[in-house]
Amino acid sequence: MDHMITVQNLTKRYESFTAVDDISFTLSPGTVTGFLGPNGAGKSTAMRIMTGLTPPTSGTATILGKPYAELPNPGRQVGVLLDASAQHAGRTGREVLALGAMVMGLGKARVDEMLDLVGLTPDEARRRLGHYSLGMRQRLGIAPALLGDPEVLVLDEPANGLDPQGIHWMRGLLKGFAEQGGTVLLSSHLLHEVEVVADQLILIGRGRIVRQGSKAELLAGSGTTANALDRDALVMALQHAGLAADVTPSGSVRSSATTEEVSRAALDAGLVLTELRGADGAGLEEMFLQLTSSDSREGAVA
Amino acid sequence: MTTTTVHPPDQPTNPPLDPVSDRDLARTPAPSAPHPPGIPFARLIAVELRKMLDTRSGRWLLIAIGVVTIVVVGFVLFASRPQDLTLSTFVTGTATPQTLLLPLLGVLAVTSEWGQRNALVTFTLEPRRLRVMLAKLVGSMVLGTVAIAFAFLIATIGNGLGILLRNGDGSWALGAASIGGVVLSQLLWVAQGIGFGLLFGSTAVAIVSYLTLPTAWAIVGSMVTSLSTVSQWLDLSRAIEPLVAGQMSGISWAHLGVAAGLWVILPILVGSWRMMRREVK
Repeated sequence: MDHMITVQNLTKRYESFTAVDDISFTLSPGTVTGFLGPNGAGKSTAMRIMTGLTPPTSGTATILGKPYAELPNPGRQVGVLLDASAQHAGRTGREVLALGAMVMGLGKARVDEMLDLVGLTPDEARRRLGHYSLGMRQRLGIAPALLGDPEVLVLDEPANGLDPQGIHWMRGLLKGFAEQGGTVLLSSHLLHEVEVVADQLILIGRGRIVRQGSKAELLAGSGTTANALDRDALVMALQHAGLAADVTPSGSVRSSATTEEVSRAALDAGLVLTELRGADGAGLEEMFLQLTSSDSREGAVA
Repeated sequence: MTTTTVHPPDQPTNPPLDPVSDRDLARTPAPSAPHPPGIPFARLIAVELRKMLDTRSGRWLLIAIGVVTIVVVGFVLFASRPQDLTLSTFVTGTATPQTLLLPLLGVLAVTSEWGQRNALVTFTLEPRRLRVMLAKLVGSMVLGTVAIAFAFLIATIGNGLGILLRNGDGSWALGAASIGGVVLSQLLWVAQGIGFGLLFGSTAVAIVSYLTLPTAWAIVGSMVTSLSTVSQWLDLSRAIEPLVAGQMSGISWAHLGVAAGLWVILPILVGSWRMMRREVK
């Protein structure tokens, strides 16, 4: 199987509002793909279409070569977490997993294993979901997705509500899953949640895919961040040298030129640089903000 | 804690599985064929039955049905004249509260999915929504049958106590027709609950409609003379009366069929159609 998930020209319209606008992508085995975009960009709608919960207006989405609704026992093939709070608040954590295991045809031992994996104590597992903290719910939320030992994971904002330790735990979990040959699609509105773990990024804004590619590819094209004692002089020097330059919201100077070009321009102008670095996470963050700000519904990412 | 338990079941390119994973595979036999078997319908019924029992609302509803049944039998036992204390009286007594409460089983089985957004999980695990709906229908019928059997049991005990304590008539006569009639009528009410739950989606709206719509129709039907003939055909509680009494004739079966078609089958059909097309959020 070459592509674990294939999405082709997927569109979802609600009367006048287009939630998902002609998106296409494919995911290969053994990869983690970050599905990034501001709130309301269409990530959740796209994921609901992929898992057969929302009918698309046009286009197709297949998982393991089939429309989701045609998978005979989907829990055994695709692990899905769309909303960790979408569970009956009156059930205990253990009961939620036991029901899932029952549908999938799995034994009780698997439930204990999953509780152990997501780090819920037997005492916590006996409590009703209504009494869980957001972080506990989120941890429990990932367990049904892993329960059936699937090949593909589709996770909508799985890190939402997790503390830094929890996010770290989630990263390790997903990395391990992909290393074993599994495929992960996880969405987030926060770049730093996914950039460490993702091999590929799909940036979505206002229903449209703005950029997609491997993380390395996207990083390579994102230029240089610099600063000087006299920041405005640096901007002028760069522009004088024919290099694009602007001041970022964080007060640095950003240029699409290489670090070497920026450094030379500063040297020629006799400026003291206080900062000079190629695009890293922060560079990608700024790119993410830029790429999505014109396409997000709020105008800028909140 | 390790993440090694998480691995795709049958990827030929997998690195050799460690002992822990091998054990996992042995315990949860991963399908070696690319097409694992689907979920057996019996399993879906069992799951839906469990879901009706594993929440407080579900459990309390069943407890309430049991308690009310006992209370009614107690009431009949001590409030009726001794010569009226027959098994038939007791059974009729239990049927009334059950008629009100059993449909709630059906309503809750359906609406709890939407109210708690549990449908998101249910329909990702079994995307064939119609199968889930049928499993709920069968599951609530099973619970309904248990409740009816319990009612017969309590009615029998009540009749025995009537003989012992109040020197009651104590007749055990209960025709097969009335037993079948009571069971069938109660199951019809359960199915109506499912239909209204599917149709209206929310617990409150479904229950209120279930309680008011047929009654309102019955009142209109009895007040307006010209509607009287029509209401024979379209008033379910009227059509069910001869069924419970064990006095069904050809024409009363026809009345029942038409009324049940309107109040049970139609809501189930339209509601299922809605549920199949509904966006699950």
